[in-house]
Amino acid sequence: MSEVNMPRLSDTMQEGTIAHWLKKLGDEIKKGDILAEIETDKATMDLEAYEEGTLQKILVQEGETVPIGQAVALIGSGAADQTQAQTETSDAKTGADGAAAAPTKVASLPSKEANTQSSPAQGQEQSLPVHSSAQSTDRGTIKASPLARRIAEEHNIDLQQIQGTGPGGRIVRDDLEDFLEHRSSAPSTPAPTPVASAQEVPTPAAQPSAPPDAEVSKLSRVRLLIARRLTESKQTIPHFYVSSEIDMTDTLALRQTFNATAGEEGVKVTVNDMIVKACALALEKFPEVNSTIKEDQLIQYKHINVGIAVDVPSGLVVPVIRDTNNKGVRSIAREAKALIAKARENKLAPVDLEGGTFSVSNLGMMDVSEFIAVINPPQSAILAIASTKKQFVPIDGQPVIRDLMTVTMSADHRILYGAAVARFLQEVKRLLQNPYSLLG
Amino acid sequence: MAQITYRQALHDALREELLHDENVFLLGEEIGIFEGSYKITAGLLQEFGPRRVVDTPIVENGFVGMATGAAMLGLRPIVEIMTINFIVLAMDQIVNHAAKIYAMFGGQCPVPLVIRTPGGGGQQLAATHSQNLEVWFAHVPGLKVVAPSTPADAKGLLHASVRDNNPVIFLENLALYNTKGEVPSNGETVPIGKAKVTKEGTDLTVISYSRMAAVALDVARRLEEENNLSIEVVDLRSLRPLDHETIISSVKKTNRAIVFEEDWRSFGIGAEIAATLQEEAFDDLDAPIKRVASLEVPLPYSKPLELATLTGAKQLIDAINELAPRRRRTAS
Repeated sequence: MSEVNMPRLSDTMQEGTIAHWLKKLGDEIKKGDILAEIETDKATMDLEAYEEGTLQKILVQEGETVPIGQAVALIGSGAADQTQAQTETSDAKTGADGAAAAPTKVASLPSKEANTQSSPAQGQEQSLPVHSSAQSTDRGTIKASPLARRIAEEHNIDLQQIQGTGPGGRIVRDDLEDFLEHRSSAPSTPAPTPVASAQEVPTPAAQPSAPPDAEVSKLSRVRLLIARRLTESKQTIPHFYVSSEIDMTDTLALRQTFNATAGEEGVKVTVNDMIVKACALALEKFPEVNSTIKEDQLIQYKHINVGIAVDVPSGLVVPVIRDTNNKGVRSIAREAKALIAKARENKLAPVDLEGGTFSVSNLGMMDVSEFIAVINPPQSAILAIASTKKQFVPIDGQPVIRDLMTVTMSADHRILYGAAVARFLQEVKRLLQNPYSLLG
Repeated sequence: MAQITYRQALHDALREELLHDENVFLLGEEIGIFEGSYKITAGLLQEFGPRRVVDTPIVENGFVGMATGAAMLGLRPIVEIMTINFIVLAMDQIVNHAAKIYAMFGGQCPVPLVIRTPGGGGQQLAATHSQNLEVWFAHVPGLKVVAPSTPADAKGLLHASVRDNNPVIFLENLALYNTKGEVPSNGETVPIGKAKVTKEGTDLTVISYSRMAAVALDVARRLEEENNLSIEVVDLRSLRPLDHETIISSVKKTNRAIVFEEDWRSFGIGAEIAATLQEEAFDDLDAPIKRVASLEVPLPYSKPLELATLTGAKQLIDAINELAPRRRRTAS
């Protein structure tokens, strides 16, 4: 008998609600079957089965909410499905209901039949010898370091989903960190989606509908996750937008002085670093922008962690500079530089991506006059930075050339309103037009 | 702080202890008139006279037994065994007497005895004069065993050893005598039984002692610069008692460990540490613990063969490259 636990489906998820059970007591369950729909803090998602057997007990009824990791159902082996005992976990074998008798019967099964019970991935490799497929699906013989096992347990990860890269295929910490990184960059999918049945070979969905004169490629996991996440943001968050034009002349001058005195060792401060600092200080003044909505609650973050959107070959990532308001622009510059380098090399750790409370997206270097960004949930606002351009500005009735930059804030209208965002932007503008205030 | 050699640090500690307590005296072969085979005791006979600096005949079991008796009666003898290879002749006095008297006589009679002796190979002194036998002593309850790698630890631990009321085997290394380092001049002791993290790191831990701890530190610094690998180095300093807390907390941080030792691999210090780690930090281990040690043969005299036999920086670097976590290796 094995437990089905409330999975952790996003990095902010603490608990989940069973919306609907899609399987009934006594139903036969295959790996990858959708057992139930779960409501999380973000969306409704599917609860997949990772074990085969019979749904023997439902522990959490529809509408009930439980913390992640808690058992919501039990799957056991019924008398009818002896052939499945081979893929069951060792816990299941030591369990009740005649399961102990099953393995001996399995041993005499023809190899072909045993093979059809292997996991989806192996279902596609029919040529594998039986003993090896049975071995890799039996949890008892998965090679994993003690630390990897502990991490898997802590994060509720089934080690069967992980491909080990250590000596002899051993699963090590690196493999779990890879897995967790993928999961946290896209909270809505906890694991590779198993196909409904091992026998069905999944057909690439795009191929039949592909136009003859276009090249079709499958979206990478990361890009698929970005797509889902942004759709979720735009569909669930009522965005509204406020723009402002900021005179950057003094900030540019200060930056130049600042960098000229940096010395050889010093990190050069970018305009973006100064904007990030200005946002952090403005967030300190207007904490309502540094918050999020969760069901009927408004959550105001104590820390100000500004994320910076980074363009990478695989798509888009938003690494986070923690406690941005307490850091000097030089520290911000140093951290931002390191994070961007890590992002470009695809080496960001989950911890680099977690905990952001506000984001800045800057296309200033690409000559854009203005643009609008999509909010990065669970944050409630993002600031889009366009290019700085020289323009004539009337000062004391005379045309003077100044460096002007348009910024546009996208905000969550459920908790932020026009005036609040306007006041926030005024503060960002005041800080950038009086840049010495950034050095405090 | 002054930069002095390991040799000078030992000499200074001996001299300060002779000055500090008139019960302290030195004995050993050729330590007086000849000033010691490695000149650790240079000038001390002249300064303190033949009652405090005693030249002995070539009878290790005899003079270690004499020192044990002197210690039982309240003196604080510091014995020099010319090299650890000659200590085998005194095993009976050390293992059956010095180590056991305190326990066997109900704690009536402590044995505040220090036996200083250098080990180590690499000087083309051949198989019988190049050994690392520390594990024999680290195995025996009733003894303490220290093996410092720096002049500062050599001085601090020698002070601590002389003032300790138990027999202490003080392990030196021929190849360390000329190494230099900063040494505090105030006679500060270094506690016995306390390891030291000589370099912090996150990718893996190298645990070592004596000369190999110095090599490990050097390798770790180089790899951090060249390969961006973050290696933590733990210098055990004491082999008995062994500082479990420091090695465990280091491995809990890095999850991977190499024990780097100049002695033979089987039944060695590395075996003890690997066993300790798996007992006390099993769930924190991400890879099997590696032992990097010398080849298990009597050490050849021939220089190329000697080099091929002894472990060193190259063997450690190879092991680190094998053991470093994949995500960190590709980062380099």
